Amino acid sequence: MSLARLKEYLQPASLDEALTLLQNGPEKTRLIGGGIDIVLHNKDVERLIDLSRLSLAYVNQEETGISVGATTTMTQLLEASPVQGYLGGIIPEVLHLVASPLLRNLGTIGGTLASAHPWSDIITLFLALAADVTLFDGEHHTVPLVELYRGKYRKILSGAIITGVFVPNHPSNTAAAFRKFSRTGFDIALLNCACLIQLANDRCSKARVVAGGTPWLASRLTSVEEALIGEPFESRSIVKAAIMAESTAAVHGDTRASADYRRELIRIGIERCLIQVMQRSSG
Amino acid sequence: MNIVLTINGIRRELTIDPGETLLHLLRRVGYKGVKKGCETGDCGACAVLLDDRAVNSCLVLAAKADGHEIVTIEGLAQWGKEDEIYPIGQAWDDELHPIQRAFLDAGAVQCGYCTPGMMISAADLLAHNPNPTEREIKEAIAGNLCRCTGYVKQIEAISKAAEIIRGLHE
Repeated sequence: MSLARLKEYLQPASLDEALTLLQNGPEKTRLIGGGIDIVLHNKDVERLIDLSRLSLAYVNQEETGISVGATTTMTQLLEASPVQGYLGGIIPEVLHLVASPLLRNLGTIGGTLASAHPWSDIITLFLALAADVTLFDGEHHTVPLVELYRGKYRKILSGAIITGVFVPNHPSNTAAAFRKFSRTGFDIALLNCACLIQLANDRCSKARVVAGGTPWLASRLTSVEEALIGEPFESRSIVKAAIMAESTAAVHGDTRASADYRRELIRIGIERCLIQVMQRSSG
Repeated sequence: MNIVLTINGIRRELTIDPGETLLHLLRRVGYKGVKKGCETGDCGACAVLLDDRAVNSCLVLAAKADGHEIVTIEGLAQWGKEDEIYPIGQAWDDELHPIQRAFLDAGAVQCGYCTPGMMISAADLLAHNPNPTEREIKEAIAGNLCRCTGYVKQIEAISKAAEIIRGLHE
């Protein structure tokens, strides 16, 4: 299998050069990080712009969070020292569940965000962590990850380069958890979910609750978050929130799982996430 | 277009089509130990080491590998002997890599089609974690499908290879 129509494989040495090649290329021009989706799903591509020589493979601890370059592979992120202690190691915990090491050694964080697969475990996690994405379209922009997939930034994305992602620090009274349901560990998620909960005096003061693979792209479950905020964070409110997720989350059936099954999974997934958050908060 | 690869320690200047995959290229120039399986990144039969990390060569464009180092199953026995690839930094006195020796000893090869890719994944694992748990071994070969043996013997072999490698140091 090869890309029979590919005429140019270009490796620019600067972001400006990469952007010029992107904006002035033929219609079937694509950026390439690890290239998994390009090889699998872009058979008609004519020009590829490889970002690997732009020094975007890094994981840096900064004062307010962790900065991850777009061409950082999933393995590099998983093994990076700054993420090991971040929210109890939630990032490596999730990355261990993503695909196989063979794919994690190749796939990049920027490529994951650009491909925007609805089953992506990483997008679900990063939405819960309130991640920002950095884009370059001649100017550098920092936008909340959720904005990347809607509104003006979705349009910008077609003519811009994702340069990285930033996951912010959270207060010490914050914990996170993630759940993925799949046929095998290697398989893509039938549904996944993630929670980030901040507590104050045993009450939930902030909540970010996300579900992905519904089968649509991950999104926040705002009604569940609202049900949690201000309430004592205990078994009763967790069960209530999980039932809220089941009854309000938009799910749909496809060839991989029925809507009823996904509705069941979302309740169980949110409940297990929140229980784990409670255990981590008390531990 | 022209690229330069170091394959099993040997520098090769190669002419490729821009859209050619590394799998196709390696087999075209004689590395038939790199197996063509699913070509969708599911089976792992085509795994090679790209700068010391195992990847599905069916998903890597040869152009992307320009300037990088590739190790195929044909070069595995030599890989790591001189370069301190393994944390223990020791060579072994065997024409086979410890992983190959362990697979033979454990009877971990049946039809053999998955074996090169499985060994490459194991090589990556043991280079970064010479004392893996069974769970870590299972995760390391999660992308390598074997339709013959049910994985028990391969897991046993990789565990044994880890012992061999650690034993070189002790």
